[in-house]
Amino acid sequence: MSELFQEAVIISILAGTFRVMTPILFAAIGELVTQRAGIWNMGVEGTMIMGAFTSYMVATTTGSLYLAVLAGIFSGMIMGLITAFMIATVRVDHFITGLGLNLLVGGLTLFWFRLYTGGGYAPTFTSLGNFPIPILSSIPIIGDIFFKQKLLTYVAFLSVPAVWYFLYRTRWGLEIRCLGENPKALDIKGLNVVLRQYVAILIGSSFTGLGGAFLMLAFSDRFQPDLTAGKGWLAIVAIIAGKWLPKGVFIAVLVFAFLGSVAVHVQILDIDIPYQIFLALPYLASIILLIGLRKRISQPAKLGVPYFR
Amino acid sequence: MIRVERRIEVNNSWVIIMYLSACIVGFLLTSLLLWLSGADISKAFYALYKGSMSNQKTILNSLSKATPLILTGLATVVAFRAQVWSIGQEGQVYSGAMSAYMASLMFYGLPVWIYLSLIITFGALGGALLGALSAVLKNRFNVNEIISTVMLNYIIIFFLSYMVGGGPWTGVGDQALIYSQSNPVDDTAKLPFLFDSKKLHFGFVLAIVSVLVCHVLINHTPFGYEIRAMGHNSVALKYRGTNTKKTLLYLMILSGAIAGLAGVSEIFGTNHSLRGDTLVGLGFTGIIVGMIGGLTPIGTLVAGVVFGGLASGSVYMKIIAKVPGTLVPTMEGIFLLTFLIAGVASHYKIVGFKRDV
Repeated sequence: MSELFQEAVIISILAGTFRVMTPILFAAIGELVTQRAGIWNMGVEGTMIMGAFTSYMVATTTGSLYLAVLAGIFSGMIMGLITAFMIATVRVDHFITGLGLNLLVGGLTLFWFRLYTGGGYAPTFTSLGNFPIPILSSIPIIGDIFFKQKLLTYVAFLSVPAVWYFLYRTRWGLEIRCLGENPKALDIKGLNVVLRQYVAILIGSSFTGLGGAFLMLAFSDRFQPDLTAGKGWLAIVAIIAGKWLPKGVFIAVLVFAFLGSVAVHVQILDIDIPYQIFLALPYLASIILLIGLRKRISQPAKLGVPYFR
Repeated sequence: MIRVERRIEVNNSWVIIMYLSACIVGFLLTSLLLWLSGADISKAFYALYKGSMSNQKTILNSLSKATPLILTGLATVVAFRAQVWSIGQEGQVYSGAMSAYMASLMFYGLPVWIYLSLIITFGALGGALLGALSAVLKNRFNVNEIISTVMLNYIIIFFLSYMVGGGPWTGVGDQALIYSQSNPVDDTAKLPFLFDSKKLHFGFVLAIVSVLVCHVLINHTPFGYEIRAMGHNSVALKYRGTNTKKTLLYLMILSGAIAGLAGVSEIFGTNHSLRGDTLVGLGFTGIIVGMIGGLTPIGTLVAGVVFGGLASGSVYMKIIAKVPGTLVPTMEGIFLLTFLIAGVASHYKIVGFKRDV
């Protein structure tokens, strides 16, 4: 156990925290917008796998990681369109839609993956490189922890204030928040409810697709089934635990990411405790977090309620 | 102008038309997928037929594959009918399998029928326990059942992975180490085969009995009434004086127990040693089976048999038509979505050429 408390290991765990944080934060901060619009998108996990898989396909066929990231976002938007069609247009139950999409994507990505590899070895790609920020990265310890991350990790940090600004300081943000509390008010004003639901879902899904792409491109060199391993679900828990506020969501994601990073290091360091215990920690933590938050005053009033005129 | 309007009463023939269209659209989308992948569509579907119901052997194989799916589908029906969106069937299958395996070690040496009954009972208990945990989390702490069941799924999978991959239940020998599995269960612990088939086992009987029990329970008992009423209007149920928390607890116990049986059936009927990877996806497929079965026990039986056929046929499809076996889960997902849309659409009617004055 004492191996965990050496300086180099601690720095590595903290730096790893931000790496693990990035995909979950993208998904959580994007889905926050969706949920503030009153939509429980339970398909986060599936959207993330889709983003990861498409970015894998593009990365291995074109060799361009930029295109791969774009493809991740794009496939997220496609998933968002299907979700929005089911939820906002057809008005299928929000939970069922998300579950259905998760199951569909689980099968679909595997099917394509098997076709793509044709029973042989899966092609690989070169992972995203680090992007040390000049000057700042040469600060001892702090530079190692914060400023030698991948470019998208900095983007993830910036997305928190950006989403905050969008939700609280723009007209569209106000309308989306209103959608989650009282969609009728928008409808009475003659504003298009369905359009705004589409926008909110698409914002969330494209962020989630980006998260999936990062997960794929930054952590490994080939696709594997169940790559996301529940990170999409952790994003949903982070939103609840963060009381539907950008800052809270950010902190909750950090907690999960820290536990995740510890789990990774325990596996590498070969400590006597079964590594499965550490792998299970983020999931255990999420249940404990939710137990502590039994009152849900801050939940958008119309979250998960289909809107009928 | 064509408009759609919500129906006040559901018209049966319209419902049938909608679900038939869902089937057709589902098949078209699957064909599209096959066409995109460059496979021979007719060959693929022929192989699917050939491998699922062309002779007695494949039919028995299909039924054997259907067994756990019927059970996890039923577990879904019990929860979803009450609009309790539990997706813990996956984890409950694991915990059922694990506690049944524990029973098989604890009670080794008892007379065969007592031994088997204990194994089956413990399997049901293991699933029930996990179901009850989610119900308690919801009742006491207002933890959303979707989230808690998903998280418990992951936790229990890691638990099993530890138990057979380095923990006390790890089997002896290279093979056990590579596949992370336990030692094979004793011959007396194996569920007996039906019809000397070496494929279909007693688990199928358990599944059929569970279907009948659930059918009677949901449609003809006060508890079933409460489950259905909870799905429609839980507030009204509360005013009637029903303790909805109790109903939730009991239905989650029932749902978990049935899913646990699926774990017993797979481990002691088909696989004969405790191993995680053979259980993967049974719970999730069960959700689709239950949904496509219209959340009724009988419908679930039918859907489960169809899905078992697909699972059995996918092996042939891989060999004959060179289509990856993962087409089947994709197909299942596609059908789920078209059925969901059909379910909503059957509540609407198309009103043609009507103008608002």
